[in-house]
Amino acid sequence: MTEPDRTTLPLTGPEFSGTANHTLRGSEPDWNLIRHPEPPQGAPNVLLVLIDDAGFGNPSTFGGPIQTPNYTRLAEAGLRYNRFHVTALCSPTRAALLTARNNHAVGFGSVGEFSSGFPGYTAMLPLECAPLPRILRDNGYSTAAFGKWHLTPDGQQGPAGPLGRWPNGWGFDYFYGFLGGDSGQWDPCLAENQKIIGTPAEYYDEEHPYYLPDAMADKTIEWLHGVRGQDAEKPFFVYFSTGCSHAPHHVASEWADKYKGQFDQGWDRLREEVFDRQKQLGVVPADAELTPRDDALPAWDDVPPRLQDLYARQMEVYAGFSENADHNVGRVIDAVEELGELENTLVIWIWGDNGASLEGTITGSFNEMTMQNGIPLTDEMQLQLAERYGGNESWGGPIMDPHYSAAWAWAGNTPFKWGKQVGSHLGGTRNPMVIHWPEHIPEPGGLRSQFTHVTDVGATILDIAGIPAPSRVDGVEQEPLHGVTFADSLIDASAPERHTQQYFETIGNRAMYKDGWWLAMKTPRIPWVVTPEALKPYAPDVWDPDADPAELYYLPDDFTQAHDMAADHPEKVQELKDLFWEEAEKYKVLPLLATLSAFFGITPPLEDTAMMEFRGDVQNVAPGMIPRIYNRSYAISADLDVPDGGVEGVIVAEADHLGGFSLFVDDGRLTHTYSMMGVFVYRQQADTPLPSGEVTVRMEFAADAAKPATGGQVTLFVNDAPVGGGRMDHTVPMRFSAYSGMDIGRDNGGVVDLSYADRRPFAFTGTIRKVVFDVKPHRTVEDEQAVHTVAHHAHAAHGISG
Amino acid sequence: MNPATAGLRVLSLPFDHETTDVLIGSYLSQAAAHDDYQAALACGAYLHGAILVGRDLSGKVSVEQSDHMVREVAQGLGTLGFLSGLVVWPLIPLTTGVGAAMGGVLGEALHLLTETKVKGQAATMIPLGCAALILAYPRSSANTVEPVVTRAIIRATGEASGHHVQALRGALAGAQQQMAATGP
Repeated sequence: MTEPDRTTLPLTGPEFSGTANHTLRGSEPDWNLIRHPEPPQGAPNVLLVLIDDAGFGNPSTFGGPIQTPNYTRLAEAGLRYNRFHVTALCSPTRAALLTARNNHAVGFGSVGEFSSGFPGYTAMLPLECAPLPRILRDNGYSTAAFGKWHLTPDGQQGPAGPLGRWPNGWGFDYFYGFLGGDSGQWDPCLAENQKIIGTPAEYYDEEHPYYLPDAMADKTIEWLHGVRGQDAEKPFFVYFSTGCSHAPHHVASEWADKYKGQFDQGWDRLREEVFDRQKQLGVVPADAELTPRDDALPAWDDVPPRLQDLYARQMEVYAGFSENADHNVGRVIDAVEELGELENTLVIWIWGDNGASLEGTITGSFNEMTMQNGIPLTDEMQLQLAERYGGNESWGGPIMDPHYSAAWAWAGNTPFKWGKQVGSHLGGTRNPMVIHWPEHIPEPGGLRSQFTHVTDVGATILDIAGIPAPSRVDGVEQEPLHGVTFADSLIDASAPERHTQQYFETIGNRAMYKDGWWLAMKTPRIPWVVTPEALKPYAPDVWDPDADPAELYYLPDDFTQAHDMAADHPEKVQELKDLFWEEAEKYKVLPLLATLSAFFGITPPLEDTAMMEFRGDVQNVAPGMIPRIYNRSYAISADLDVPDGGVEGVIVAEADHLGGFSLFVDDGRLTHTYSMMGVFVYRQQADTPLPSGEVTVRMEFAADAAKPATGGQVTLFVNDAPVGGGRMDHTVPMRFSAYSGMDIGRDNGGVVDLSYADRRPFAFTGTIRKVVFDVKPHRTVEDEQAVHTVAHHAHAAHGISG
Repeated sequence: MNPATAGLRVLSLPFDHETTDVLIGSYLSQAAAHDDYQAALACGAYLHGAILVGRDLSGKVSVEQSDHMVREVAQGLGTLGFLSGLVVWPLIPLTTGVGAAMGGVLGEALHLLTETKVKGQAATMIPLGCAALILAYPRSSANTVEPVVTRAIIRATGEASGHHVQALRGALAGAQQQMAATGP
């Protein structure tokens, strides 16, 4: 068989070279017609592992406090890369990783939830940028993705799609995981291929509860066995993308308890310890200097003793969670080894899609969504809320969705400044990478220090597989790859540095790298602060980005960005500033701060839909696709058939006790529970029992005003007669949950009202003919526009914490 | 104890001219409220009474009250509407930073289609999982009692002359107003 032209995809089949006569007499088949595309000779398996929200100083493999024996095992038989760079945010890094192109150029200037009308921020992969899994699949690979996806726009995550931007549409034959930016590990709302399958049934097994990291490894191994059961030769491409270590930090206490007491010294001393180990390992040069703590972060010694226990536990849980991720990746690697294929499997394992996340704010939170909803909670409030949900012993369990203090994240990014969202500094952009490919790495255990970037990974995989980047896919001319191969560095420590120039930009924080020089321009805003005062300086008519403070570093001599040389080299500062604007224009980075455009009056056209109907069997509506009930008056009604014996169960429920609502029947009475992020939980119940027969029930929320987090009055109706109600002083302004879905007729996963937790999912025992949301009872267009604007601020807020 | 009789006991307490303070504290966890409740009881100062009201996450309401309260005015406080009055005000003056940013000026309040249908619905409640503490004590105890109440998310105090029924009612109302003034 001749080698096909791989520059055009799909690969074209060969011309029929046999003979087809009127009958089989004399006819000759051409068996090449029914062969599937084959990869180039020697193309290896590829296992691409991506850990979430983790820093350079987290894994023990790079000197961190978190034990990562599997990562170290691969590093000692492979290579450590200590100058590998990512974008400073989740979806952008993933988009760059899987397309080998700059993230803005493929529509991912921000996260999948934020889909905007600027080319670099659509969250919609352009047809001109066919992604890596599609290229590999069309060239004869079996492809599968497991875990976090975060590359499908928020509004496309239902059965109506369009489905082209789900994982299968990106070229993965199989997908098992979650489409959003994060997930509970105990109660995820999962997708499999092109269907949201919801929370696994094992969630309800109290003896052997479901745990997503374990299930991801199980599913990966099962898939590998299935592929090999069918085809012993076909190479595979597995993208194993953990939800760990993104919040919520969920892990069994036995993992967290391994670290008991190990963080009592606090974040300042932890950094010093990590830095010493990094130097001993050689992943940080001996002459490097540890950067100082920013004033935005408190000194550990200034933390009141009553909080230190809580804070230390936050890090213990994060560490246990992360070690568990290492364990489960190790299981997959063991399975590949057991198949006898580890030698021929290129493993690329990146520890963090951005620096460790600062989004827990100074205090950390019992519920990761409090920051995204802009709810300011003092340290005492956080302490009490943690107590409410079980205290330190429950941190990491299913009752909370915890995040840790930003100061722990900063320590996780040792030795650098800042972290996630801060694209201007290495704390947000430099992460560990290990590559393992035993027969092809002559210096196992070696260190590589070439400047490399996440866009290079795809280019390197294609280079090693012998597959060219296609110039046409489905008839569409392709944008060239922006990344460059670093394959020769696998065999040569002194291989030339090919990636000599790279822009970085995340929510206005930006950098320009060229030939060792790094211009850092961080907006003065603290990453986790999105108050009116914090945003005012960035209004379109106010902000002059060129006036932002400029720092200049020469990285070959200053690994950590400890010495700002801007004052000594103004010409270099200007050169790199100019270069940044050129690159920004070229790669669709502009306009800067498009992610925050909704805060400055730029919103999509108003939606017309006022009524949304759901039949009784609809389940697992993605959290970004539920009716837009935030910050407004709304009504939920349901047509029920109630048998003579009465009913119980959930009519409709969204998310869980840490943010959500449930309209249900208990003790014969219509009941409504609303959780304002688990901070305030309101419940109203009918005074009279539900009658039997055909019954219409309704809850109405009369908002005080079309304003964020508005309070208002709830009234319950049965057959149009008021039967109860109550006031809710605060409502959720943006989003109930990052991952938990809405269900009709049951409350899947974690439940909203814990009074029925022992009966979960508390399925409705009568018949629900339909549930109707009326989300537009406002009289004026002005009110509707106000609510609409708020809704898009929610997208932006979610976008900056993806 | 017969509530009616107890109430009479309260009413029969001798009038005096010492100022009575009433402190209300609100909490996001019952454990935190209990810490302050215990601290107040253990502080060594004289209390007219202490009541801790909590609502767990399943909705169950629990009430603890001190021996002082039972001995002197517990039932009386109950008849004064301490508990029902407490929950009129939001417990936490919560503001949303992002919300404020996004909201800006949204104009006049909405007139909602559903408004007329909710008139007359004035049910109030302590949000699930929250708790409140009420302490009544003579002014002479204030310097000892107030410093041990360390965990209240919001606290407010009212005062009145004497500790008879009307005085306590007035002090409670003052504390409630102060708390409302710090509300959203």
